[in-house]
Amino acid sequence: MEQRIRTAIARSGADYTEVRVERSRRSRVFYQRDKLEGLETASELGGVVRCLKKGGWGVAVFNDLTRLEAKLAEAEKAAALVGAKTTEPVRLAPVSAIEAHVRAEQGRDVPLRRKKERMESYNRIILAESDKIVASNVHYRDVFREITYANSEGTYLIQEIPDTTLLLGAVASDGKGNIQQGFEMVGEAGGFDMVLHREEAARKAAQRATAMLDARSVGGGQYTVILDPELAGVFIHEAFGHFCEADFLFKNPRLAKIMTVGNEFGTRELNVVDEGYIAGRRGNLPYDDEGVARQKTYLIQEGRLRGLLHSRETAAKMGAEPTGNARAVSYEHPPIVRMRNTYIENGSSSFEEMIRDIDRGVYAIRAYGGETEFEQFSFSAAYAYEIIDGEIGGMLRDVVLTGNLFDTLRSIDRIGDDGSLFGGVGGCGKGGQNALPVTVGSPHIRIHNVTIGGK
Amino acid sequence: MDSLLNQAKAKVDRAELYRLERQTTPLAFRTGQLESIHTKQIGGYALRVVWNGHLGYATTTDSAQPEALLDAAMDAAAFGERVSLALPGPRADRGARRYDEDLASAPMEELVALGEQVVAGLESGAPEAETGVFVTRGIDRVSIENTSGLNVSEDRASIEVSVEVSCAQEDDIFIVADSIHARSLATLEADRLVDRVLRNLRWGETLVPAPSGKMPVVFTPRGAIAVLFPLVFGYSGRSVYLGTSPLKGKLGEVMFDPRVSLVDDGTVVDGLGGGGFDDEGVPTRRTPLIAGGEVAGFYYDLRTAELAGVGSTGNGFKGGMLGGADFRALPSASVSNLLLLPGEATLDELIEEVGDGLLVDTVLGLGQGNLSSGDFSNNVAVAYKIERGRIIGRVKNAMLAGNTYRLLNDRVVGIGDCPEWIFGRLFVPPLALSEVNVAAK
Repeated sequence: MEQRIRTAIARSGADYTEVRVERSRRSRVFYQRDKLEGLETASELGGVVRCLKKGGWGVAVFNDLTRLEAKLAEAEKAAALVGAKTTEPVRLAPVSAIEAHVRAEQGRDVPLRRKKERMESYNRIILAESDKIVASNVHYRDVFREITYANSEGTYLIQEIPDTTLLLGAVASDGKGNIQQGFEMVGEAGGFDMVLHREEAARKAAQRATAMLDARSVGGGQYTVILDPELAGVFIHEAFGHFCEADFLFKNPRLAKIMTVGNEFGTRELNVVDEGYIAGRRGNLPYDDEGVARQKTYLIQEGRLRGLLHSRETAAKMGAEPTGNARAVSYEHPPIVRMRNTYIENGSSSFEEMIRDIDRGVYAIRAYGGETEFEQFSFSAAYAYEIIDGEIGGMLRDVVLTGNLFDTLRSIDRIGDDGSLFGGVGGCGKGGQNALPVTVGSPHIRIHNVTIGGK
Repeated sequence: MDSLLNQAKAKVDRAELYRLERQTTPLAFRTGQLESIHTKQIGGYALRVVWNGHLGYATTTDSAQPEALLDAAMDAAAFGERVSLALPGPRADRGARRYDEDLASAPMEELVALGEQVVAGLESGAPEAETGVFVTRGIDRVSIENTSGLNVSEDRASIEVSVEVSCAQEDDIFIVADSIHARSLATLEADRLVDRVLRNLRWGETLVPAPSGKMPVVFTPRGAIAVLFPLVFGYSGRSVYLGTSPLKGKLGEVMFDPRVSLVDDGTVVDGLGGGGFDDEGVPTRRTPLIAGGEVAGFYYDLRTAELAGVGSTGNGFKGGMLGGADFRALPSASVSNLLLLPGEATLDELIEEVGDGLLVDTVLGLGQGNLSSGDFSNNVAVAYKIERGRIIGRVKNAMLAGNTYRLLNDRVVGIGDCPEWIFGRLFVPPLALSEVNVAAK
């Protein structure tokens, strides 16, 4: 295969050519209530070629690898059509050619039966926790990908990437129309071992669903809010991180102006990082899908914008260095600028210091969902507690936080000293490329004047 | 793969082979010019088997090794769920009405010209805005063969144009996104898409403070999805079977305003959600869900229908409640095309009727909130303030909250007469509701 790819690239008539071939094996076990609703395996092989001709991109995606040469010609033709029309030809920032083979041993050769039996036991724990539990969702997925990447500049890489996730979900009902849920998640760049010993998590999911039946629905209005590390991590990824993706900015000078390096976004204690490798994390990517080596990138340092996330194209356009953030969710897509492991660095406040001077507030925990559109964001907390006179009060539900990114960053007044990272079970979505494995994290953070929607 | 089903027949009780061949051609135009052309040609197989009464499933892209696929599905079936899964038998083909040869064979240059036409329309109407225009042609061939003798295949072609227009100023970004699709180039109303986007941009030129409190809200078809989304969950036969739907046991009861009628209809050729058959080979049909306010039915795939002791309604699609996935996913209960039947008022009449309130076009966080209870809570992405029956400007940083079942019961002001396709599979008119909660910052 290596010779075939190298020869095909050498024969390409485009100005720049790259080939990425992905071989993957997946498995999935899904319990819903008392039924095993999903038990499956998949094996896949596919490729994508990308050509640049006269500054225009052409891309071809295919499963039939015997057609590699024909697909290169097709991409070159498309690139020529684009190149002939463009007045702003694409350039790529220079990077050094790399040859490497990154291996990962975890995640292979666990029989499907073992996975099924383990999930069955977790499912049983959830269903047995309380007679109020009416349904469960135990959803296990793993994938082991081997990605071969080569380009016309001499880079040839093979990377093995494992990814395993587990959702332990419980649905509780009071029998009178009040239906609530609780869940726990595991997501790691590893194999089946990552999801062993999760019995306690299964119990917690079921207990939370039951407890949520008695939670109060929060009243709409403005609150001082403490976000737990997971929700704060989702916030920094969704609301701010996407703003730092240069492909979002580089063709829009007015947006780029808001995101000028040096602009102040928050308190001096605020530091935000996107990092390419932290052992065992889902967002890891030793080399990105343009063959650029990973690095640690400060997005915000001491409250000021420090850098953006780049592909080779955006780096060339904006006069920056590529940061190793060009990622594709699979062979069905070309790379676009994406995050990896993104987190707020630890500050100095203890949780006690954060909460004690809040008269009336909300402690919001974990994200149930979230969406952003430019500066506007909306997140629903999985669950929450009211804060009254500096103390944690009763449980709240239906807590949806919303606001303007810039106002909200400026309203972060305390950053905790207790950071942690989360892989979650889904992943990041952008530009039709969904469920890309990423990690988010943060310590607890406190934000003033957050709008919470309610009845 | 041709011999796979014969091999399967000899080894397992029942088997179904699903095959998808998909060619997609996405073109992207940014800042007024063609940015990229992709050509995607993917093909995959999904094999579902019942072996000794147990279910197994496997997928692959590799057509060269049918035995490996059968082995993988049987490996899973060795300890899979016990099912009966009666597969549909042979039937006559209804003919390929979702495939337009002119669209399928249109040269790349013609698709480029279509994108350029939309770009030009937007630029002449809104020269200051940043535009993104995306033209995507999709051609699918779906083939399903099973051991009960079913062997069907359908070609489906579609063209979609979506646009994203943004106007950015210091600390304020106004984005209008919209899309339109058709089964042929001749029937694609690209000008209407441009008009809609420009209309929204005009309405949004002035920024006004968002109101707060309980107020009447008019939803455009796109905005109405926020209200209707819990119904996609609530009408799923799966939710009803699991008891997570509030509609469980309510069949025949009046739960909604008599003007509300909701239908799932996979036979509608224009919708992208349907087909001659679903992803299990069951013929699609028209299933009333709400008939004049009354709970009239739910939608089912084969597996859920079996659990619930009813028949499939031809709603076994790959890709969750909204369908639309490729060969990889197992089919499950999913809407095909969901139609909220139109009323009689124009959008302008609805706006005039509510007097003072909001017009909501796009929300963030669709599907957030408690789908079981019907509570929704969304940030508005694009919304306008209505004063004395007229739109006076755009509002931002506001939350909407309400309960779908409550609002569609006794707070319906009116339903519009001009439905639009949203996500290619929801056909929805404008909707005016009273007493919706709005929380402004």
